[in-house]
Amino acid sequence: MATLALSLPAAGQATAARGPRTADGKPNLNGIWQVLTTANWDLEGHAAAAGPMIPLGAIGAMPPGQGVVEGETIPYKPEALATKKTNFTNRLKLDPEVKCYLPGVPRATYMPFPFQIVQTPQYILMSYEYANAARTIYMKDPGPAPIDSWMGQSVGHWEGDTLVVDVTGLNDQTWFDRAGDFHSDALHVVERYTLRGPDTLMYEATIDDKNVFTKPWKISMPIYRRLEKNVQLMEFKCVEFVEELMYGQYRKKP
Amino acid sequence: MKRYSIVLGIAAACLGAPLVQGQARVKAAAYVVPRTADGQPDLQGIWNNATITPLERPADLSGKAFFTPAEAAAYEKEWLQQNNRDRRAGEGAADVAGAYNQAWFDRGTKVVPTLRTSLIIDPADGKIPYSAEGLKRLAAAAEYSRMHPADGPEDLALTDRCLSWGTAGPPMLPGPYNDNYQIFQTPGYVAIVVEMIHDVRIIPLDGRPHLPANVRQWMGDPRGHWEGNTLVVETTNFTGKSHFRGATQNMRLVERFTRTDANTLTYDFTVKDPATFTKPWSASVPMTKAAGPIYEYACHEGNYALPDVLAGARAQEKKAAGGARK
Repeated sequence: MATLALSLPAAGQATAARGPRTADGKPNLNGIWQVLTTANWDLEGHAAAAGPMIPLGAIGAMPPGQGVVEGETIPYKPEALATKKTNFTNRLKLDPEVKCYLPGVPRATYMPFPFQIVQTPQYILMSYEYANAARTIYMKDPGPAPIDSWMGQSVGHWEGDTLVVDVTGLNDQTWFDRAGDFHSDALHVVERYTLRGPDTLMYEATIDDKNVFTKPWKISMPIYRRLEKNVQLMEFKCVEFVEELMYGQYRKKP
Repeated sequence: MKRYSIVLGIAAACLGAPLVQGQARVKAAAYVVPRTADGQPDLQGIWNNATITPLERPADLSGKAFFTPAEAAAYEKEWLQQNNRDRRAGEGAADVAGAYNQAWFDRGTKVVPTLRTSLIIDPADGKIPYSAEGLKRLAAAAEYSRMHPADGPEDLALTDRCLSWGTAGPPMLPGPYNDNYQIFQTPGYVAIVVEMIHDVRIIPLDGRPHLPANVRQWMGDPRGHWEGNTLVVETTNFTGKSHFRGATQNMRLVERFTRTDANTLTYDFTVKDPATFTKPWSASVPMTKAAGPIYEYACHEGNYALPDVLAGARAQEKKAAGGARK
């Protein structure tokens, strides 16, 4: 499937994407979407495994996945690979998802929650159910990101029928998955969204971070349209669910 | 434009909430509302609702629904002086609370262009019409809060917990800063990005039913439709913890968004909750086109204050228990 996305025409070539179009003739990405991979557990291929919380039993186990990394392995620098392993060991303490922190990019895309695309010619809003996270893709480049942030600054353009999004200004606080895969604030992500049909969006992200990786690397996966009648994003304001975890130690003892 | 708005404001005062549609019609004659590609009124853009006009009419303005231009200028001048004076009392806790002047805030410096003395347009006295039951509940909550200011995180304000911001909506009211909203439209949906602690409201326009009554959300469950040039949004399914101005989870909110000139989105809302208010009440807030951009407000991610407040309370208790009784 990833190969198909890559084989689509480059900028300026005749249209190839199938699916609906907007009033201004662009591929219509509007809708509610969700991935079906286990990328949020581990971008790399992984067998099923017990989870870090014994009381959760099978509920907390890691489901198996074939991986979404092109070439199978993330090209870590040796010292960075050691950090990733430490991250994994201490994931209950360190994974920002545990604390309901904003997910960053690309992790927002493949969290096990839906997201909604609201597409206009000037801006494309990506609204994620997880933690009410959102980002606006500017179709006109506003210049360098004014400051680093959790969701970064996204600038988009169309290459033929592919929406290409350049993401910069990301801070070093987010992870890529629950396996401890991480990055620095030098992270630069280029995403490509291509409609493969009315209900399938091919997603590809190129990840570059010279502080952590020996070379840029790619992930790819399909994103599926949520087709349930009256489907809508609901609220997952998880801040409330982590208060006991984060602040329970300061609670007044009876 | 200002004088025109005053005339409409007076009409609003006379007629109450239903006048809003009339207002949209009157203004349509003077201002042609832009349209989206699919023919809907185009509300898109970044809008700011900062104003120093209070929600409720201050006691010293009782009986006075509108300022004259000279009175408005005097009020603005005095308000700025009040907020910029040194309010520190020379003692720790009060110093922290009082050390904020206008440099910290972004409330604007002007009253609303209608020169109304309150954002509430109905009832005519500019006050929230609390019922005895509503006041009793508010008093009980305040008393509990006084006795238990920081036993656990849930005793702190929703804003301090980064769960929701009382003015960020719904309904949307001017807050101390970050009063910015960006509206996006696509066929079938209007989306509002709220800068204050990063929220998004996505409003379906297809007439679908609300979520089941047992499904409750902090920001409720909005449904929208067009009435002429006005976007009407009805929101239900609030949680019992959202408590906008003391309202219960059964609060029904109706919001009306109308572009009234090139730089103004007139935002009116009506709150209904018979368990808290003797009757529905309405406010009108002008939103002004802003340059933007909207910044990311990562509230929870930077919430160092909440554990400090709780730890501070525990330290005080320990000190009180170990030392001389105060």
